[in-house]
Amino acid sequence: MAKIRDFDYEYFIGPQHPGATGNMSYHVWAEGDTIIKIEPNLGYLHRGFEKLTELRHWIKNFPLILRICVPEPDINEVLYAMAIEELNEIDVPERAQYIRIIVLELARLSAYLLYFGGVAGTIGLYTVPQWTIGDRDYILDLFEELTGGRVYHIYQTIGGVRRDIPEGFKERVLKTVDYLEKRLKDYDNLFFQHPIFEKRAKGIGIVDKDAALRFSVTGPNLRAAGVNYDVRKKEPYLIYDRFQFDVPDMYKDGDTYSRVMQRRYEFEESIKIIRQAAADMPEGPVNIKIRNPFEYRVKEGSVYVKLESSKGEYGFYVVSDGGVKPYRLHVRGPSFSHGLQLVRHIAKGTNIADISMILFSLDVCPPDAER
Amino acid sequence: MLKNGVLKMKNEEQIKKDIETTFGELVKVHIKRRHRIKVDAPKNMTLPILAYLKQRGFHQFTLLTCVDWIKKGMFELVYNLYSLDYNVHVLVSTHINRENESMPTAINIYEMAFDYEREIHEMFGVEFEGHPRLGEFLLEDWKGMPPMRKDFDTRAYVEEKFNVKDLTKELFTRKEQPYRGPGSNG
Amino acid sequence: MGLNLKFFDALKFLVRKPHTVRVPYEKKEVAKRYRGIHVNDWSKCIGCGNCAKICTCQAIEMVEIPTLEPKMGQTNLRPQVDYGRCSFCGQCVDVCPTGSLKLSTEYEIISSDVKDFKFIPNLNHDSGPGTGWESDTETSFLDFNRVEMPERDPAERKKDFEWVLEGFSEEEAIFEATRCLGCALCVQGCPTGMYIPEYINAIFHKNYEKSVDWMFVNNPLPEICGTVCTHRCEEACVYHNRGQAIQIRYLKGFAAGKVPDYEKVVGISKKRTGKKVALIGAGPASLSCAFYLRREGIDAVIYEAQEAPGGMLKLGIPRYRLPQSILDKEIDFIKKQGVVFKFGTRVGKDITFEKLHEEYDAVFIGTGYHIGMTMGIPGEEGKDVFDAATLLKDVSLGKEVKIGKKVLVIGGGDVAMDATRTALRLGAEVVILSYRRRYVDMPASDEEKHEAEAEGVQFLTQTLPTEIVRDKSGNIVKVKYVETEMVYEEGAKRPKPVPKMDDVKEWDIDTVIMAIGQKPDWSYLPEKWRKMLKFDKRMKNIIVNDDMMTDIEGVFAGGDVVNPRKDAISAIADGRKAALGIIKYLGIKR
Repeated sequence: MAKIRDFDYEYFIGPQHPGATGNMSYHVWAEGDTIIKIEPNLGYLHRGFEKLTELRHWIKNFPLILRICVPEPDINEVLYAMAIEELNEIDVPERAQYIRIIVLELARLSAYLLYFGGVAGTIGLYTVPQWTIGDRDYILDLFEELTGGRVYHIYQTIGGVRRDIPEGFKERVLKTVDYLEKRLKDYDNLFFQHPIFEKRAKGIGIVDKDAALRFSVTGPNLRAAGVNYDVRKKEPYLIYDRFQFDVPDMYKDGDTYSRVMQRRYEFEESIKIIRQAAADMPEGPVNIKIRNPFEYRVKEGSVYVKLESSKGEYGFYVVSDGGVKPYRLHVRGPSFSHGLQLVRHIAKGTNIADISMILFSLDVCPPDAER
Repeated sequence: MLKNGVLKMKNEEQIKKDIETTFGELVKVHIKRRHRIKVDAPKNMTLPILAYLKQRGFHQFTLLTCVDWIKKGMFELVYNLYSLDYNVHVLVSTHINRENESMPTAINIYEMAFDYEREIHEMFGVEFEGHPRLGEFLLEDWKGMPPMRKDFDTRAYVEEKFNVKDLTKELFTRKEQPYRGPGSNG
Repeated sequence: MGLNLKFFDALKFLVRKPHTVRVPYEKKEVAKRYRGIHVNDWSKCIGCGNCAKICTCQAIEMVEIPTLEPKMGQTNLRPQVDYGRCSFCGQCVDVCPTGSLKLSTEYEIISSDVKDFKFIPNLNHDSGPGTGWESDTETSFLDFNRVEMPERDPAERKKDFEWVLEGFSEEEAIFEATRCLGCALCVQGCPTGMYIPEYINAIFHKNYEKSVDWMFVNNPLPEICGTVCTHRCEEACVYHNRGQAIQIRYLKGFAAGKVPDYEKVVGISKKRTGKKVALIGAGPASLSCAFYLRREGIDAVIYEAQEAPGGMLKLGIPRYRLPQSILDKEIDFIKKQGVVFKFGTRVGKDITFEKLHEEYDAVFIGTGYHIGMTMGIPGEEGKDVFDAATLLKDVSLGKEVKIGKKVLVIGGGDVAMDATRTALRLGAEVVILSYRRRYVDMPASDEEKHEAEAEGVQFLTQTLPTEIVRDKSGNIVKVKYVETEMVYEEGAKRPKPVPKMDDVKEWDIDTVIMAIGQKPDWSYLPEKWRKMLKFDKRMKNIIVNDDMMTDIEGVFAGGDVVNPRKDAISAIADGRKAALGIIKYLGIKR
């Protein structure tokens, strides 16, 4: 490693949640309070998921694979199911597709609420996390009713979802999203239009269009840099092509402020999707019989499936050798690009006081980088 | 996704044609489905293909992964690239020998390969020639066989590392001992 | 938009009841579908261990409960859950074949002792039906519907003696084989303990040779059993508790049928020991015994009174249920092993039992129940009254049998069903089946009942024929009968039919077939030998020891004359056991 000269301080941020939703640390060299070099240091959350999946039957990986990501576990389940379904050419029942859309979008809402609270927390606006965590609980209640679990849902299965929605569930979903939509105005007043937030966030941690493309930035972070790219629009997975929704494009600066506001407007779009999915949901079966979980085989081949998570493009590269277990499963988490190479680039020249907010605004989640 | 198969795949076919004409017969290009192209390339052609694709606008280095085909004695390296303009993922796959074969690094073409190559090196033991920092990445003080290799025995590792004989049994007997944690009188 | 305004915005939440924090503590009302503590209904649990098998975290271990008395198709293992590992995914519930396991809405276990978090679930934490994570046949991972065996159209098939089944296609067989979970409880149901999960798994992998290899371990007649077995394994199958069992029998038949030449798989034994054994009767018991004796190099000579091998398989089971081609294939393979058949040689008449006992190192008695019993009602002496055993035997041997157009069959067992359906095929227009108990009491298997009904047999249950009325030339014109009613007696296992003698009714009938039971023929055994054997109380079955040896040194027995089940698979099991016993008796090292 090249010797760094002229620094006054050398210290660590983390590994106790340095503004990222998980344990990772950053080794920081600073001159005064200006960062001149930052080096991510991973390994605190490495649990070897990819190896563990190779040792288990296809069906047994559902309770395991979703543990990669705490704020939004459902994407892992859905992706894993999508990969198997694509390899085995399974037609998922319509109703299950709609339920999956509702689950995914509710999970996105809950992840965004956590995100807003996190960003606000890094600049000392502590009321916001208290509110968002409280509101997130309404979504968790819905999940509990639908799936039996609050955080880890283990609700997806090969060819659909494990149970049909309970009676009156759609109404309660609509009630909750109505409430959340109303609450957005409170959040506007409390947080998004808060002068402190605007002052602290604008012009900080800029990821411009060039940098975003160069560092494979995806998701809301990329959109906040002025590139209109959303997997749901570009490569509609499940049945996203059936819903009317916009990808907000009013923020192009790529700074922290844009990234937060981008998500704030996407929050509304997710609510739109949930309403449409609840209205259009057809009757019918919600899964297919896999008949024997211990002898379930997936056809030989490899597949790369991806979807739009709250953090960015989330993908699984799954290889099957035709056996009862996956041969190889590679998780492509968005944080692998956002949290490592990109941070090395943009943190240079920023203030130590801002680094937490920048990291959190990128929604760096070390579990999906380490797996 | 069968329904995608019948749609027109203009972009995909264009890229397939371009790669085939540029790199000749040694490179096999398959359109797997809409938005997905798989390129099977020999090792020496891989980086030129990456460079070519980069220049064609494949800006996003989505991932680099490795598959251990232990029966064939090969590692398969898969470079996954994406272009916004074409809206296509190109998965460039190449095989190298499991033992004593290295791969030239791709960081001069794609900066993003930096950490991916570190991870692959650590987890599979693949050497990337020209990489400046192939050191410790996720693991700490790891001396043994790279853990993601197929012949790595997780159970044997745990038994040795935590000094247990039969894992399942040991865990059960261990819990039979009195608990001396908070709130316990023992 | 000053800061102050926003400050007051926040104020309105000061008095609102918070959603998350509850002070003082209130126990949270959880959703109906919540996945909490395991509940296991022991009255349903069969200890198959599938929950332990699917557990990602290996949190479930099957532990033996010594106080439990396992019934057929059950074990005395029960799941033990370790909450240090459990992830409450509920997959154990979704894979439970009986539906005994569930996760309740209870979620509190508070203890200072870590041992309390590892326990054997029972109904202790049950939150009541309809709550928690339950699984029914719809939501289960498992498919409780079997692939039905395709059959020929009843209107067509009753015209000839061709096989009524069409057989599985490969696709259907593999689809059905996929269902097998490999828990091996079915093996308990099989008298000979075949390696059922192993051979079904081999079928799943399209490896029929391997499958047949597994079958031959303890059954040398797999395709016959795969066609006409009484399939007690299917009653022990875990799917049987909530749905339809796996088609174990037909899968076996399918795989065996896929292997045209067993020799390639099983081979032919070249061993020679110089010992020789005589077997009386060429039924399944003797065939099985002879096969395993030959495998160990012992010469086996089968004495058969008829001109064809197979015993009851040939004489008792009609060809539309068991085609001759299958019989030939399997018996020819046993012949190929070097087993010698002496047809048309009736022991006791053509050769004496003493001689066999003298000449051979051991003798195996594998005779069957060939004498049909009659009711002893007025008018049964004379023409047009048959006993089912003789009728079926004559039809099987190709003798000409003439029956009338209106046939009455008396009895309710499998033989009665065979008799009705054979009568239909012999040209009868009306076939009536009279049985003195109820439909549910019939000992015949369900599928035979259904098949007979589909072919147009009229079932008249709770009737008892009392007299056969003949005209002057001796032809039957009528059968008088009475109805019965079922009377429960204290201490009796099942109700008893009591005839209502004062109300006599009549049927128009011209032929009567009696299928009310069969008995063994002991005439070949001289009085002296018969006294040396030990029989059970009803003088029907020979009592043998664990090696199938009778009280006479060197005389072994098996099949219908020994076991109470009187089916082919029990006979095969007996034959194999006897072969092992003979090998042990002759002191041959395996």
